[in-house]
Amino acid sequence: MSQVRIRIPEKIKPGEIVTVRALVSHPMEMMAFKGGKPVERNYNFVHKVEATYNGRKVFEAATTQAVSQNPFVSFTIKADAPGVVKVVFHDTQGKAYEGQVEIKF
Amino acid sequence: MKSQQDPRSTRRAALKRLGATGVALGALGWGLVVPGSAAAQAGAGMPLPEENVADTLKRLFGNRPLQAAGERIKFEAPMIAENGAVVPLRIDIDLPMTKDDYVKNVYIISDKNRRPMNAQFSFTPDSGKAAVGTNIRLASTSDVRAIAETSKGVIYETRREVKVTVGGCGG
Repeated sequence: MSQVRIRIPEKIKPGEIVTVRALVSHPMEMMAFKGGKPVERNYNFVHKVEATYNGRKVFEAATTQAVSQNPFVSFTIKADAPGVVKVVFHDTQGKAYEGQVEIKF
Repeated sequence: MKSQQDPRSTRRAALKRLGATGVALGALGWGLVVPGSAAAQAGAGMPLPEENVADTLKRLFGNRPLQAAGERIKFEAPMIAENGAVVPLRIDIDLPMTKDDYVKNVYIISDKNRRPMNAQFSFTPDSGKAAVGTNIRLASTSDVRAIAETSKGVIYETRREVKVTVGGCGG
């Protein structure tokens, strides 16, 4: 299971708008390849990204196969309380990749 | 050895036939594979239909007018993308994010991809600001649109042309 990597700025002031950057290793493929040739349709891509901040949903993305391999998303949150930002990537094969980061002042 | 080759060749032939029957049958095939509920739910596991960009806009926004965003959307996209498989995009939206009036959805739509609808991002007033960045695949040189929909239903659109040197396997 690959890991979600999340980055936030090192220093955060209360009330500041913070950019959160999340990255997951995922092939985002539509075709299964064997020896460089497509062999069958294999819809395996991240179709949903959800972010919560202290349990409140702050961001959601519906992504498609047109998002690059190893999908990267950045979004903003208003850091008004210390807590945990959790980002979950769901793929079409039913797997979920989860990562979290703590916001401290 | 011979017996091993036989099933492989028939499978290849079957795939070729599937390709030749075209979009209509292909769509039917997908319909059979997906349970009805999953097919009805947008983006739940299956690719969106292949369509042209006018149909995509109609499907998403109906007949609501798209306003030119002007300064309201800051959309950063490369003028020339050497690799169509990774085109970095950044969208910064300068619109109020209050409880009554906030940016609800942001769409990335690329005109020439086989499936123009690339990504949809949803925000809440807690987001503080609607700003998003991601990497997308582009099949060929095309206009990429960033479209913002507010909670009041106003739609703003801006676009950039991205020249693609090597297409990323068509999204």
